[in-house]
Amino acid sequence: MAALGLCRAFGALLLSAGPRRVRPPPLPSGPQPWLPGPVSAPAACRGLGGSAPRCTTDPLWKCRAKYTVRPVGMKKTGGRDHTGRVRVRGIGGGHKRRYRMIDFQRLRYEEGAPPEPFTEKVISVRYDPCRSANIALVAGGNRKRWIIATENMQPGNSITNSPHISRMAVSASEGDAYPLGALPVGTLICNLESHPGKGAQYIRAAGTCGVLLRKVNGTAIVQLPSKRHMQVLETCVATVGRVSNVDHNKRVIGKAGRNRWLGKRPHTGLWHRKGGWAGRKIKPLPPMKSYVNLPRVKAVE
Amino acid sequence: MVVAVMVAGPMALGRAGVVAAAAAARGLATRAGRPRHRSPLPRTPWTVRGPPPEVLAELAEPRSVREQVELDTVTYAERLHYVPGLARPRFPAWDRGWRDPWHTPGPRYEEMALYKERGCYICHQGVRMLEGVRQAQWLTKTKLVEGLPPAVQGILDNPALGLQELEERAEHMVSHARLWDTAEVAPRRERYCPMLFENLIHICRLMSGKFPSLSKRMLARNCRIAATWERESFLLQVRGLSGILMNSMTPIPPVASKEEILATKEHVLETFYPIAPTIDLQEVNVYKELNDTGFRDGYPYSHPHTLFFLESANVRTDRFRPEQLRAKMLMFAFGNALAKAKALHGNDPKVLEQPVVVQSIGTDGQLFQFMVFQLNTTDLVSNDGIKNLVWIDSDQNLYERAQCVPEVKKRVVTKPAGISGFQPDTFKKFLALYLHGTV
Repeated sequence: MAALGLCRAFGALLLSAGPRRVRPPPLPSGPQPWLPGPVSAPAACRGLGGSAPRCTTDPLWKCRAKYTVRPVGMKKTGGRDHTGRVRVRGIGGGHKRRYRMIDFQRLRYEEGAPPEPFTEKVISVRYDPCRSANIALVAGGNRKRWIIATENMQPGNSITNSPHISRMAVSASEGDAYPLGALPVGTLICNLESHPGKGAQYIRAAGTCGVLLRKVNGTAIVQLPSKRHMQVLETCVATVGRVSNVDHNKRVIGKAGRNRWLGKRPHTGLWHRKGGWAGRKIKPLPPMKSYVNLPRVKAVE
Repeated sequence: MVVAVMVAGPMALGRAGVVAAAAAARGLATRAGRPRHRSPLPRTPWTVRGPPPEVLAELAEPRSVREQVELDTVTYAERLHYVPGLARPRFPAWDRGWRDPWHTPGPRYEEMALYKERGCYICHQGVRMLEGVRQAQWLTKTKLVEGLPPAVQGILDNPALGLQELEERAEHMVSHARLWDTAEVAPRRERYCPMLFENLIHICRLMSGKFPSLSKRMLARNCRIAATWERESFLLQVRGLSGILMNSMTPIPPVASKEEILATKEHVLETFYPIAPTIDLQEVNVYKELNDTGFRDGYPYSHPHTLFFLESANVRTDRFRPEQLRAKMLMFAFGNALAKAKALHGNDPKVLEQPVVVQSIGTDGQLFQFMVFQLNTTDLVSNDGIKNLVWIDSDQNLYERAQCVPEVKKRVVTKPAGISGFQPDTFKKFLALYLHGTV
C-alpha cells in the first residue's frame, strides 16, 4: 500500500512518464456487494514532494546527419547547461543566428571519387555570424560546401586539395590544403588538425596563422598563434595562408549595445583586488604538445 | 633433447632453474628434458605462448566499441530497475508484432520496384543551377544567340499589325495590376504578378479579332512534363509541373535557316572545370525513364507554343535570380520540345528534319526574360554534331517603378505616385512572341 504510493511518487519523477490521466475517485454508489476475500481500501498516499532537474534545452537542432549548404536554425542556450542552470556567466540575448555547416575536413572526397588530388572553385565569400572568420562557398564535382576562407580568397579562385607527400616540397598558393609533410618549412598555415582525418580544430580564428617550424622524421612541428609548439604527424592536412578577416582584432565595439547584439551580457562592476588581470605576465613557454603516439611494444604472436 | 622453454616471466624461470640446479646438485638421476605427452598439452600459461585463439581472432577483426562495451560491462537490465553504478543497457527496438499501416517505416530505396543501380539526375521546378544558362546549355547541347530571332524581330517591326494603340492599354493593365487591384495600400507580389500576366494575355487575346487563327490556342496550368535523355554518360530527366503552358493546334515553323543549323556543328560547348555539369541537380536511384508531354494522343491542341514562368513569391530569397530563372526556362522549354519530338518521331536519337520550336517567357512582375528554343537534334549523347539553338533576350524592364503612395522628402514630392518609366518595347516583344507562329 505504502509501497504502491511510493512507487507512484517515484514514477511521477521519471522523465519517461507520460501524461498521467487522473482517474476520477470512485463514487460512493450505495452499499457495495461484499466480495469474498480481503478488499483493500484505496490507500491514502502522500505524494513525494521534491524536484529533480530536467533537461530544458533541446539539442535536436544539432542532430542533423546529412550535410547541407543551407543555413540551419540554431537554438541559443544562454549559458545554461542540460540541467537548466547557468553554467557560463555572461552569455545571453543577441541577434538570431543561423548555423552554416562548415566542412573542416578539407580532404573529404565525394562518394565514388578516388583519393586523388582535386580542385574546387570558390563561389562566394561571406560573413558568418557564428565565428570571427569569413566563410567561403566552394564547389567541386557534384557538391558544394562551406570552408573557412583565407586572407586573399576571392570568388572565382581555384583551390587544390591533395593528400600526397613527395620528396620535394610543394610551392603552395594560399587557400590550398596539403599535408604538413608536403609543405616547405616556414609556411604560414591555418585550419590544422591534430590527427590525420579528424578535421581542423586549431588556428581557425580571424587573422590567425601558425608557422611550420621543422619536420622531424614522420612528424611536423607547428607553432600555434599562442607561441606554443605542437607536434603532429606529417599526414595531417592544413590550409596554407592566414585566416580571413585580418582586421578583426582592430575593430572598436563602440558601445555597450554592440556587445549585447553579439550575445554578451554585462560583467559585474565589482573590482576584484586579487584578480590578477592587471600587470605584465611573464611565464615560461609551456612544453611542446605532442599528438604523436609512440609505437607500442605489442606482446602478441 | 628438447631445450626447456622458459615462459611466463622470471618466476617460472627461477623455479625451473632452481629445480634443475637442485636436482643436479643432489646427484639424482632425472629424466632428461621435458616429459613427452602422448596427447596435446593442456593449455596453461607455461605450455602455450600468447593469448588463446579467440582473443587472437578478436584482435584480427575487432568488434565495434558498442559491442565490446556491452559484452564487458554489467548492466542493470536483469535487475529491471536503475542501479547507480551499473551501466545503462541498450534494449532491443520495440516490435509491434503486427503491421500497422499508419506506423510502418516504409520500403527502403533498394527494395522499391523502380530502383536502378545507375543514378539519374533530375531537373525540377526547384532546381537552381549554380552556373545558370551555361550549365543548362551544356546539359541540353545548345548554342546561345543573343537577342530575339529575325522572325520575331520581323513581327516587331511590322507596322501593319497596329501595335501602337495597344501601348496605352498595356500601361493601364500595369497600373491595374500594380496599383488598383487591392483594398490595402499596395498589392503584394503574389497578387500582382499573376494579375499582370492575366492582363497581358488578355490584351494578346484581343488581337484574335484581327487574326482569327489566334483562337486556335489553349492555356494549361499545372501540367506535368517528363523528358529523358542521355548526355555523355549522365542520364538526365526533366520532371514536374511545367509552369503555365500555351498549346496551339499548329506547330511554330523553324526559326533558324539550314545554314545556321549546320554551322552549329563547329560550336564547342563550354565546360566549367572543376564543377561537374550535373551540380545542383537531384540525383535519384528510383526513377522511371519516361517521355510524356502531359497530354494524351488525339488532343487537338497538341503542340507546345509558349511556357510562362511567374516568380511570384513575396520573399526575395524564395524567388529565382534572373540567371537561375533563365536556366530553368531553358531546361523546361527543352523538356517540352524533346517530349514532343519523341512523341512525333520516336525514341531513337537522330537529327530532326522538322525542328521543334518552343518559346518561353519568365517574369517576376517587372523584369521579363524572353527565350526562343529550337530543338534540332535528339542525338545528345556525344558533344559534337548538330546542336540545338536558343535565342535569349534577358532583363527587359516593363516599367521602372510603380509607386502606390508618392514619396515625399522634406515637403517635396520626389517620386510621384503611378507607373513611371513604362517601356512599350517589352510589351511589344511579349505580343510578338504570342503572335509568332500564326502571323
